[in-house]
Amino acid sequence: MKSKLLLSLVVATLASSAMAQVKPEDAIKFRQSGYGFMAWNMGRIKMNVEGGNYNKEEVIKAANAIQAIANSGMGALYLPGTDKGKGWEETRAKSNIWTDKEKMGKVATDFVREANEMAKVAAGGDAAAVGNQLGKLSGTCKGCHDDFKAKR
Amino acid sequence: MNSKRIRLWDLPTRLFHWSLVLCVAAAVISGQVGGKWIDWHGRIGLLIVGLLVFRLVWGLVGSTYARFAQFFPTPGKIKAYLSGQWRGEGHNPLGALSVFGLLGLLGVQVLTGLVANDDIAFRGPLYDLVGNDWSNRLTGLHHLLANGLIALVVLHVAAIAFYGHVRKQKLIKPMLTGWKDEGEGESATGGGILALIVALLIAAGSVYGASGAWMPEPPPPPPAAETPSW
Repeated sequence: MKSKLLLSLVVATLASSAMAQVKPEDAIKFRQSGYGFMAWNMGRIKMNVEGGNYNKEEVIKAANAIQAIANSGMGALYLPGTDKGKGWEETRAKSNIWTDKEKMGKVATDFVREANEMAKVAAGGDAAAVGNQLGKLSGTCKGCHDDFKAKR
Repeated sequence: MNSKRIRLWDLPTRLFHWSLVLCVAAAVISGQVGGKWIDWHGRIGLLIVGLLVFRLVWGLVGSTYARFAQFFPTPGKIKAYLSGQWRGEGHNPLGALSVFGLLGLLGVQVLTGLVANDDIAFRGPLYDLVGNDWSNRLTGLHHLLANGLIALVVLHVAAIAFYGHVRKQKLIKPMLTGWKDEGEGESATGGGILALIVALLIAAGSVYGASGAWMPEPPPPPPAAETPSW
């Protein structure tokens, strides 16, 4: 609990200081870092679910990390005009993120909801339930990628 | 030549065809749905590898009308067919184009799928062979060509409906039973049990290859390189 509090504090601090005057290039970098870090944690959960060697603590850590990032208000990094530009690499954010606000808001909300649920399920320690929730969570990632992330 | 009942499609060809129908449908749906179905999408893809390789081998050693050489669509044959001059049994030259188009496109789909990733938690079994940059590019191609594949399947089904209603040729029944009622050629021969075993073995080998099971496991981290517990 304490570490969770600390983590959300750190994330909140970073987010608010970033929000103050984040440069477009940095905003794109933060975005890409956030998704990349979540991908690592998604992979960790998947490995635990599939490996037949389930480590409850490991999955809780990963799920909490995803939950924290999901709730960090990353929308603040989607500055107008940052559908183009380079962070760590060229951004793949599509311009309809800024125009199709209703749908974008829905996929983002879906994702946060399932990420919160993931953390809850991980705390329960039931590998099958975690696997099932991982599927739901991945589905919400895809919900956004399909419409709002450019293919290469 | 008098028309008579002939043996057109051998059993392995028919089993291949209908298995492929099921697998492609399942692959398209699981790919669109995603989420926990993405792992099934990968497994179905491996099955399609096996089916495709089987068909390639069967196109060389199968029975008469399953062989590529029998129906290979040369420009001359296509021209003859379009002007109504073509006479033959099995795949007509336009149908043959569709066969090669579908097999080719499916081939590209499985090859790109094997190295693809979904930016979430799925990586094709051969992802490590190409690395992240190429995986991203080929994933883009995989998404793009999925539409082409669906279009080609729709065309395939529409063509069968056209032949059925306009040309009064029943194409589905022979693909189910193997027999054509009013055939003008000879019954299919060849494609015996030995050929079948060879084709199945090569197909199984290709699925093993595509599964990446042969790739070296990433070395377990040596105890000395243990990472900090925080």
